[in-house]
Amino acid sequence: MSHFETDPHLFGGELDHREDHAPGDAPEESAGHWVLNSNLGLIFSLILTVAAFLAARSHLIYGPAVPDALLVLGVAQMGVHLVFFLHVTTGPDNTNNVLALAFGILVVFLIVVGSIWIMANMNQNMMPMDQLMRMQP
Amino acid sequence: MFGKLRWSAIPFDQPIPLITSVVLILVILGVLGLVTAKGWWPYLWREWITTVDHKRIGIMYCLLGSVMLVRGFADAIMMRTQQAVAINAPGYLPVEHYNQIFSAHGTIMIFFAAMPLVIGFMNFVTPLQLGVRDVAFPTLNSVSFWLTASGALLVNVSLFVGEFARTGWLPYPPLSEATYSPGVGVDYYLWAVQISGIGTLMTGINFVTTVLKMRCPGMSYFRMPMFCWTALASSLLIVAVFPILTATLAMLSLDRYFGFHFFTNTAGGNPMMFMNLIWAWGHPEVYILVLPAFGIFSEVFSTFSGKPLFGYRSMVAATLFICIVAMMTWLHHFFTMGSGPAVNTAFGISTSIIAVGTGVKIYNWIFTMYGGRVRFSVPMLWSLGFIFTFVIGGMTGVLLAVPPADFLVHNSMFLVAHFHNVIVGGVVFALFAGLDYWFPKAFGFRLHEGWGKAAFWFAFFGFWITFTPLYILGMQGMTRRLQHVNVEEWRPMLDLSLLGVGVLVVGVICQVIMLVVSIIKRDELRDMTGDPWDGRSLEWATPSPPPFFNFAVMPNVEGEEAYWGIKLRAIETQQLSPEPTYTPIEMPVNSPVGFYTAFFATVTGFALIWQIWWLAGLGLAAAFVGFVVFAWRDVHEFHVPVDEVASVDRARRAAREALMERIAQQGVLP
Amino acid sequence: MSETGLPATVETLRRVREDPHRLGHRSHGSEGPVEGAGHGETGPASKRIIVGYGFWIFLLSDIVMFSCFFAAYAVMQGATAGGPRAHDIVEIPRVALQTGALLLSSYTCGLSFAATNARSRLWTQVFLLITGLLGLAFVAMELQEFISLAAQGITPQRSGFLSAFFGLVGLHGLHVTVAGLWLATMMAQVQVKGFRPETVHRLICFNLFWHALDIVWIAIFTIVYLIGGIS
Repeated sequence: MSHFETDPHLFGGELDHREDHAPGDAPEESAGHWVLNSNLGLIFSLILTVAAFLAARSHLIYGPAVPDALLVLGVAQMGVHLVFFLHVTTGPDNTNNVLALAFGILVVFLIVVGSIWIMANMNQNMMPMDQLMRMQP
Repeated sequence: MFGKLRWSAIPFDQPIPLITSVVLILVILGVLGLVTAKGWWPYLWREWITTVDHKRIGIMYCLLGSVMLVRGFADAIMMRTQQAVAINAPGYLPVEHYNQIFSAHGTIMIFFAAMPLVIGFMNFVTPLQLGVRDVAFPTLNSVSFWLTASGALLVNVSLFVGEFARTGWLPYPPLSEATYSPGVGVDYYLWAVQISGIGTLMTGINFVTTVLKMRCPGMSYFRMPMFCWTALASSLLIVAVFPILTATLAMLSLDRYFGFHFFTNTAGGNPMMFMNLIWAWGHPEVYILVLPAFGIFSEVFSTFSGKPLFGYRSMVAATLFICIVAMMTWLHHFFTMGSGPAVNTAFGISTSIIAVGTGVKIYNWIFTMYGGRVRFSVPMLWSLGFIFTFVIGGMTGVLLAVPPADFLVHNSMFLVAHFHNVIVGGVVFALFAGLDYWFPKAFGFRLHEGWGKAAFWFAFFGFWITFTPLYILGMQGMTRRLQHVNVEEWRPMLDLSLLGVGVLVVGVICQVIMLVVSIIKRDELRDMTGDPWDGRSLEWATPSPPPFFNFAVMPNVEGEEAYWGIKLRAIETQQLSPEPTYTPIEMPVNSPVGFYTAFFATVTGFALIWQIWWLAGLGLAAAFVGFVVFAWRDVHEFHVPVDEVASVDRARRAAREALMERIAQQGVLP
Repeated sequence: MSETGLPATVETLRRVREDPHRLGHRSHGSEGPVEGAGHGETGPASKRIIVGYGFWIFLLSDIVMFSCFFAAYAVMQGATAGGPRAHDIVEIPRVALQTGALLLSSYTCGLSFAATNARSRLWTQVFLLITGLLGLAFVAMELQEFISLAAQGITPQRSGFLSAFFGLVGLHGLHVTVAGLWLATMMAQVQVKGFRPETVHRLICFNLFWHALDIVWIAIFTIVYLIGGIS
């Protein structure tokens, strides 16, 4: 709340460098810096996107490795977006943002990998549903 | 025009719901009439309905939770009575009605009693303990509350218009699919839970941001009171898992409304995916409830033992450990569903491991009492009762974590006894402890000690008399959710359990009498100092009840147990810290947007349940208009003038000085 | 309980006086600042940081919701019930166009925020408009895809796999649509109210949301369309 800023005795002049930044935000940067970041992000993303479509459609890569290559390219592009568009850095002002991101990635990992593992295991151990239905009187 | 809504939706032919609804409607009309006659509407609107004050929102959450707790308890009484009288007999509840009752009991108790109460305490206490004036997003907080209330309203409307789900508190497909549950019962469940779930998610976001970004100067992470840590962990879990609930229920809605095949047993749908996803939410959910409860106990043990919390850092570590591992144990809810030994073993082990974190906490609480001068006030009684009850509940849980053992008692009354053992013994006991502990802070007077103790003893023994027989019945093979029983040998245990419910009812009556007696005798029980329990954290630095801005000047924290340090220094030097320079305070203005949003959420939910599409569209459009109008407002904050701040704080300082004089006069210090 | 109402305080003070060096007891808290205490001990953060961070947390929860639909898609990939498989319904040229539109919109969205930082209302509005139009093109292409699939009888009611496909892709499309509505509201707000602090805070949040939707689309076009399109 901005009303805290009216408690003047709390805020010395030396606070700024210790303060955190919001994700996607870096207030002291000039507009030119933002444009440069966006340009870099666009170039890297374009390269990675084209590479992904090429890898999927042409036969440049050994066939069975294509899905893995696509996943790697996808993760790389997400990284590019995080760094150049969302301005996530490793600086101390970003610790909370990165920790929250790491927590989110952990949750996503647990849900997706957990579900795939559990359900694959179950499919393997159980009769498929349509056969089960056929057994019913 | 009215979708599936017909006159036949109102149960004219079923006396029990009809009479209940008529009585309820009369009571509600009576209350509304009284408010109108007394001319309280402007006050209610200004001070409560549109408020964005975290303390008032917290109190409203607790009020909502308490009302729904009584409603859920009424369901419980009906179920226990039915099982006791329906031994080789039909009993008094028809099957359809009985099925709705056990579904409503679970849904109400988890979503609309336990969650609002836990979130209510988080709302009231966390900003005070952090030494700040409000939560990160005060208006969003109001929206969260009113959305929760909207969900609760929809559940209760189902009693009178239509029906409730008959599927259990988690609507397992394929039973909950349109093919097997064509009525509106499951739809009531879906939209009530969906709307309140969005409110809960926003609360989680609000409190993660509050704890991480809004602490008073000097309040570093390792100086936060334990309750703030548990509120943070619980909010993190809310943010992590409530979207899973939203997604899962959305998939089930797509199945029911548009004929998708996510969870059907035809055309490649996979009902087991529902179990998988819903428990990925459902297991962390119990930790969302129990972690703040642990926080309440931590505060109570430390305050009433007159000692700092033993092993504070290990407590923090255990809390965060539980927060992470809670998301890795969900499969233990469906060990019997057909996973192979590898999966079952992995989740059995992770479930056993999570008990270690809780064990650390139990020992820390015991060692907090060790060497302390323990005062057996009402909050402490609940806490001691909790340790005994929760340890036994936890041990039966570790037993259930072993897959082969789980195969024997899965879905039996043993399981029912286990989870009531941990949720009642853990969460509900904590809420009652917290009620006694923070009530003086909220309302300015203590609760009557004698009736509070009576309530504890009746609830404690009532609980054990109710649920010990259920453990035994589970071991004898009685499954849960039976509408009637045809095993004569189970009669003594079922009767004993019913007797236990009777004792619990006496406990609840004692609680009500405690409240009434305390309100009548409020002048005798008045808390003049703001520190009735000799507390240790910052909420006790404020007067009781705290002014709406909490702190005239934001406290400056210099160590652990912020208020304790301030208090010791003041008494030792025989003077308060010098009077600060007061400045005007900016506070957020009240906003009707929460009430407005919830009103249209209720309308939209009701329309979707009965498939009145034009009304649903209208509700959504109105929600968008509300969003724009809210975004367009110009005034966000108002100034509290210096004079008001100063006069409130000078009154507080006068009370503290009087207290210090009393200590000096009595010569209790050497 | 003693008469003071503060029994534990009095007791502690007595102990301290009787044993001033606390030989018998450990001090309950360190006096100096705690090491490694992290950020925020300087008092509450500014509104801008609080709003941005809160929205960041919301985005994480939104991503978790998407992850459930991804999990459902992964699990139900084979549940075609004799219907079409992924590579039967994927049309790479359209996906390439959609990806291009969304990527470019992410870029213009970033530029709009650069203009906001330079307090240029004109360029902010221009870039926001381009962002919105590109988003609209994306949604239109997705709608056209769904309609042409439905014309071939490929609907979510056909099989579990198609439910998961339409659920996942449709959820993303719904997000882009809602974001477009938000964008229009923001443009009106910037026009009428100018760059007030709260408007800038909302623009930060909108930027985060739009970029996050692009990140989700990366996962969708990689997993659903490209990997799914491999026969």
